[in-house]
Amino acid sequence: MSTEERVTIRKLPTGVPGLDDILGGGLPEYSFNIIAGAPGGGKTTLAHQVMFANATPERPALYFTVLGEPAIKMLRYQQQFRFFDAAKLNTAVRFINLSELVLGKDLDAVLAEIIKEVEATSPGIVIVDSFRTVVRKATGGTGEVELQAFIQRLALHLTSWQATTFLIGEYTEGEIRDNPVFTVADGLFWLYQQVERNSIVRKLQVMKLRGQASVPGLHTFRITADGVQAFPRNFGLTGRVNKPRDRRRLSSGVVALDVMMSGGIPEGDSLLIAGPSGSGKSALATQFIAEGLRHGEPGIAAIFEERPEEYAGRAASLGMDFDAPQHDGKLEILYLRPLDLSVDETMREIIDAVERMGAKRLVIDSLAGFELALAPGFRTDFRESLYRMIGALTRTGVTIVSTVELVESFTELALSPYAISFLSDDIIRLRYVEIDGQLRKVLMVVKMRGGDHSKDIVEYDVTSKGLRLGERLTGYHGLITGVPQPLGPKDREGDPVSGTPNRKE
Amino acid sequence: MNTIPPAIKALARRLVAFEATRNPSDGPVGATSRACDALRGPLAKFVGADGFRSLLSRALALAKVEIPSLGSVQMRPDGSLEGLEGVEQNQDAGAVVVTQLLGLLVMFIGEPLMIRLVQDAWPDATVAETDRMGEVQL
Repeated sequence: MSTEERVTIRKLPTGVPGLDDILGGGLPEYSFNIIAGAPGGGKTTLAHQVMFANATPERPALYFTVLGEPAIKMLRYQQQFRFFDAAKLNTAVRFINLSELVLGKDLDAVLAEIIKEVEATSPGIVIVDSFRTVVRKATGGTGEVELQAFIQRLALHLTSWQATTFLIGEYTEGEIRDNPVFTVADGLFWLYQQVERNSIVRKLQVMKLRGQASVPGLHTFRITADGVQAFPRNFGLTGRVNKPRDRRRLSSGVVALDVMMSGGIPEGDSLLIAGPSGSGKSALATQFIAEGLRHGEPGIAAIFEERPEEYAGRAASLGMDFDAPQHDGKLEILYLRPLDLSVDETMREIIDAVERMGAKRLVIDSLAGFELALAPGFRTDFRESLYRMIGALTRTGVTIVSTVELVESFTELALSPYAISFLSDDIIRLRYVEIDGQLRKVLMVVKMRGGDHSKDIVEYDVTSKGLRLGERLTGYHGLITGVPQPLGPKDREGDPVSGTPNRKE
Repeated sequence: MNTIPPAIKALARRLVAFEATRNPSDGPVGATSRACDALRGPLAKFVGADGFRSLLSRALALAKVEIPSLGSVQMRPDGSLEGLEGVEQNQDAGAVVVTQLLGLLVMFIGEPLMIRLVQDAWPDATVAETDRMGEVQL
């Protein structure tokens, strides 16, 4: 059958951010679906959100309640969500209680009542909550074949009457096999709520969806005052952006460092600043944002270790005003530290902010803090998550500066504890060296994917104005080990002549 | 509610007209009933008797919105229509029920499969193997 001859299945928007992408564009119209999961998993909230997004007075939604959460309590709680539209009640959204019927009659009577209501209102959306209760009651005196026939007739009638249906049920995964409900269903959406140490992580899986390709796997979701928001796990893995060769260079905020980088950071690159605690990583990242603000470039600082006011306060101590740009909408400081974040959720939040502000510069300070903010289960595949995140962020065109803390080793020059240096277009390494009984700091540009860079190892200080680079440190070998040995001439006393760098801006 | 292409409307009218020529004495009412009955066989084989009843009840409900005078028409438990006698003796009124039924089929399974079902329902008629209902010959 040719493409033109195939029937077109319209896709309904779910009203749930992120879920349409997971479903492959939306809900297949007139499909017969199950929303399954344990109590507290978000099934009813998800169903309500879909209902309010699609119900109209012409094609209303029928919400059949059966011995589960009473409608009066459901309405009391669901109206706390922003998607809840009280104006739609009894016009576009109608609640019908089937409890008495289910308790007193058989499945045929239940089906007849549903058919009667459907034929009377011609709904676009039908929800039965909880369908599990209907089935549990029925199985007491009904055979499996009769139950399957009931479900078949229900599905057939609701589809014929052009309703998109959701049966909500508290099922366990072990019940999937041999359960007629799951056989008949076109779509099966499973909601999980997992406890990982002290964190709660919500995940959803599209186990089945006839007629269209959904994104496989477990996707995290969150329930906030806005309702359910889903975070597709393929986020950041689709589409590639080819970076042009002759890109604009962005100043890092440190002129001497720009010179070392052959003019600055190539626009759209991801730069990693790696170094030990106190080496000035955050100061350099702050200078990068401040420099952008000076040129009218909106910036975002995604921080995990400080609160926004502390971050702005520290910028002020370096002579940078972060309050006015925040007020003017040129700077957004995203504080992300709920301790149960998923990477996809963090990505979504940052990308939304980048798109909202048209940000040109982004600082992630720090990757270690980000890792800590994640729920424990996500830390195990943090490297893969970073790969996706950096990929997704660079596709927005924003230039990223990330900081990563290293435990200083005096035998090797580590670049990142996550083995993610391949993700970064450019790497700046800060490290301590012991010279003449002093703990001094050196900076080196380790990698620039976009072109040439200085090979110098330069000394620097963190001053009240930020990083100040000195001269190339000469007269030593083994600087990158942190314990260099003097080369060349010695003074009259026989001690090595130490370089006292001339400071330059 | 459903936007039905003119070609499907034309096909439905031709199906009813075709049935009318078979037995001119019972007029458009009988022709509509026979057209629906003709579709019942292949449709019931395809979606089951319950499925046919669901589809026809939906088609009838949609037709009533379009032609309010169909309000008294009901579907019997066996899936046949009753009450058409009271409807205005207008061939188009009956054809609207068939139109809506074909429209539902096109919406659910697409035009080529709907044509196959029509061909199954009227095996004696010359239903051309074409890709447009407008060209179906009866």
